[in-house]
Amino acid sequence: MTFETSEPAAPAADQPVVPVAPPPSPSVPATGAAVGRPPTSEVPLVEVEGLVKYYPIMGGFLRRHVGDVKAVDGVSFWVNRGEVLGLVGESGCGKSTLGKTLIQLTPPTAGLAKLDGEPIFGKKGKDLKKLRRRMQIIFQDPVGSLNPRMPISDIIGEGLLAQADAENRWGDRKVRDKRVGDYLDAVGLRRDYTRRYPHEFSGGQRQRIGIARALALSPDFLICDEPVSALDVSIQSQILNLLLDLRREFDLTYLFIAHNLSVVQYISDRVGVMYLGKLVELAEVEELYRRPRHPYSVALLSAVPDANPRVRKKRLVLTGDVPSPAAPPSGCHFHTRCWLYEQLGQPEVCTTADPEFRDIGDGHLVACHWAEKVPTAVVASAVPTAEVTTDTVAMPAAGIPAAPPIDAGPPTEEATASGT
Amino acid sequence: MTTTTPPPAPAPTAAGAAGGVASVPLLSVRDLVVRFRTQDGTIYAVNGIDFDLAEGETLGIVGESGCGKSVTNLAIMRLLPKPAGRIERGRILLDGQDLVVLSESEIRAIRGRDVAMIFQDPMTSLNPVLTIEEQMVETIRAHRTTSKEEARARAIELLEMVGIPKPETRLKAFPHQFSGGMRQRVMIAMALALDPRLLIADEPTTALDVTIQAQILEILARLATESGTALILITHDLGVVAGMTKRINVMYAGFVVESATTPELFALPSHPYTIGLLHSIPRLDSDGDEDLIPIEGRPPDQRVEPVGCPFAPRCAWRIDDCWSDNPGLAAIDGRAAVVMTGPAATHRIACFNPPTHDEALAGRPLREGFRPAPPPGTLPEDTGFEGLGSEEALEALEPQGAEHSPLLPRDEALLDAGRDRGQYPGDADRDSHR
Ligand SMILES: Nc1ncnc2c1ncn2[C@@H]1O[C@H](COP(=O)(O)OP(=O)(O)OP(=O)(O)O)[C@@H](O)[C@H]1O
Ligand SMILES: Nc1ncnc2c1ncn2[C@@H]1O[C@H](COP(=O)(O)OP(=O)(O)O)[C@@H](O)[C@H]1O
Ligand code: SF4
Ligand code: SF4
Ligand SMILES: [Mg+2]
Ligand SMILES: [Mg+2]
Repeated sequence: MTFETSEPAAPAADQPVVPVAPPPSPSVPATGAAVGRPPTSEVPLVEVEGLVKYYPIMGGFLRRHVGDVKAVDGVSFWVNRGEVLGLVGESGCGKSTLGKTLIQLTPPTAGLAKLDGEPIFGKKGKDLKKLRRRMQIIFQDPVGSLNPRMPISDIIGEGLLAQADAENRWGDRKVRDKRVGDYLDAVGLRRDYTRRYPHEFSGGQRQRIGIARALALSPDFLICDEPVSALDVSIQSQILNLLLDLRREFDLTYLFIAHNLSVVQYISDRVGVMYLGKLVELAEVEELYRRPRHPYSVALLSAVPDANPRVRKKRLVLTGDVPSPAAPPSGCHFHTRCWLYEQLGQPEVCTTADPEFRDIGDGHLVACHWAEKVPTAVVASAVPTAEVTTDTVAMPAAGIPAAPPIDAGPPTEEATASGT
Repeated sequence: MTTTTPPPAPAPTAAGAAGGVASVPLLSVRDLVVRFRTQDGTIYAVNGIDFDLAEGETLGIVGESGCGKSVTNLAIMRLLPKPAGRIERGRILLDGQDLVVLSESEIRAIRGRDVAMIFQDPMTSLNPVLTIEEQMVETIRAHRTTSKEEARARAIELLEMVGIPKPETRLKAFPHQFSGGMRQRVMIAMALALDPRLLIADEPTTALDVTIQAQILEILARLATESGTALILITHDLGVVAGMTKRINVMYAGFVVESATTPELFALPSHPYTIGLLHSIPRLDSDGDEDLIPIEGRPPDQRVEPVGCPFAPRCAWRIDDCWSDNPGLAAIDGRAAVVMTGPAATHRIACFNPPTHDEALAGRPLREGFRPAPPPGTLPEDTGFEGLGSEEALEALEPQGAEHSPLLPRDEALLDAGRDRGQYPGDADRDSHR
């Protein structure tokens, strides 16, 4: 397995990261079947087990391999056919890397992924080509992901041409153009736009073009990486509704990546929360948003500013910054910012043992040693519920950690700042 | 330009003479017009806006990208990019003194001392080659005659206030050694260094993660309250201002289209654009079954001089007048005496055909028999936006008498709406997505 050399280092990386190195050998806990999947006869469309993606850090004059950015660090989940699985987390937590690894834009360091029960990594030639067609991705930046020198017909047609065969006859310009027109139509653009260039379109329209490009190949599985984050508020809902319409129309399954919790809530059936390369919680959308069980999810939900001043929620302001994924804290990655850890008197297990991603009932998965101890009062006050719309919201007095001092200092910032 | 009651002119001298100190707003912006002259033509960035801000008050300015939020505030600071950006008209009174006519050196004395600004990306305003200490001490000493030691002590105190741990040691650091959240704290500390009376924060948390955003907003709210600094918070996120400011101005295409106290704005959103925004953002507290009602179309091209209501092409409540006349900001309940600021500020909107309360809740017109006025030239009844996609229909959109449509300079303005299920904006009986 070789590492890509063409990928631009993400700006968030503080160290000079040059991804050219022999793959590190991480110790991945060997997992069996996808964690916590309810035993059903139906095979999920996508299954991911123990997925790991490290970006090697090269340092010093000799550009030796001095460490790894642990972008994705042992993630397991599954996506049912026809569902929208949302993935939230703060920037740098590994969401995009997860998506890019699944779509094989970058090779995994370790782990297993299956589409329709068939392993997807390590495929070559014709098999890879066939797989590519079934999994597509749309990106956050509708401008950067479209070639400015190509007319729309070529942008959408490119993928078709690459997948052309005797059966679909996409090699034939006429057939191809018709299909391009059909998909422009499907995403709400005029079919006679095929001769125009990307700069002639607005951000929302460019995102539609990106969606048309992905859909033209009739994929089963679509990864949407922050598809609306770069768009204006009033345009975002147009795209979200379009994605929902298309899902029905074309029987699609989505992995929907975003940092915006309300957007993810709107579009998803189930939602996973990531922190520092790991999934920390995964549940049905209602369940996760109303009864979060991981201290990080609780804090994340409470941090969302609400466009309704009558919903007064108790803010759980987390201290410090997200630690660097190159040097994640020991034990539970979240312990350096965890309010529950503080409240429980800093139990040792949090700093020594990586919590298991376990099912606490009905397919609600949490990676916290103390998930059962998250006080209901805290959840109730930190998370808005539909019923909470009166002016006075009772603030449960007991069990809520006082808003901690604004900053206890990010424990690993030194490491982040002074890299090699 | 305005066809309704013009906003009351400020009378600083009269108020001052009457001894009503409290009635003189700290900041008073009147009929502010800002344009950019570029190779591409004139950009109509801010098109005559009025607002006041009292001492210690907090005001949120909300709107989408390009609606003129930043330009308004760059104009207040007199930091418009030269020579393209110009204040074409209007007054910006700080304590009754018109900033528009001040000389460069006079405005420089005011910047930092009376008015300070925080930007979205702190790196643009921090000097990468100077330590935090050098920058803070320099800022303080540029406006105050203090010794280096005193300035340093003040810097430490400020960093402590914004929650930087071990400030003495952090002073020696360079900006790039801080994380985004830490840099924004340093920016806040520097902005507060001279006890400004007005702090303008332009998208201070947009580049930050939610949990870090929560930290920064908490600091801003606390410091503005403690120091009595007036705050203008610019953001595209209604959620951010909801919890932070006492009043909100909603901007669209260079106009203020709605202005109200925060509780009033959310309890009684009254402008079709505000209503549209509130229905098009997913909300955590919604019960999950409500469909979003997108605002179809997109904001107008600001290279064309605005005529009529800027929201007309996207508005479900549009009537014929909306194409030709601009509705000025006026009190929603027709009150004669308009209060521009403070807790009793009059709720004002710029709209000829204000939605009712029920319509605001529903997000679309409900009136018996009300059909959104078809654009001049008239479309076939049953085609809806479907028909707008054709060249003929687009031509039909040109208001008569105008050389070209001011609001639809290019047909793309309707493409987003284009085929959108052939539905009229707001008319969306979308079937459930779930
Ligand atoms: N230097 C400039 N030259 C030309 N046009 C400009 C310049 N700066 C801003 N504009 C234009 O002025 C209008 C208002 O821009 P402004 O930056 O105030 O928007 P904004 O509301 O702050 O948006 P955002 O949310 O994207 O920051 C836009 O049409 C913009 O393109
Ligand atoms: N090509 C790359 N080389 C090195 N580090 C990378 C690369 N891409 C991403 N990273 C790092 O991996 C981590 C996860 O990144 P990413 O998956 O982009 O996060 P997200 O999408 O959640 O914001 C970050 O620390 C980021 O800096
Ligand atoms: S395992 Fe410990 S540190 Fe981690 S989230 Fe749970 S309580 Fe917090
Ligand atoms: S009703 Fe008319 S004036 Fe009011 S927002 Fe709509 S288009 Fe503008
Ligand atoms: Mg990303
Ligand atoms: Mg701006």
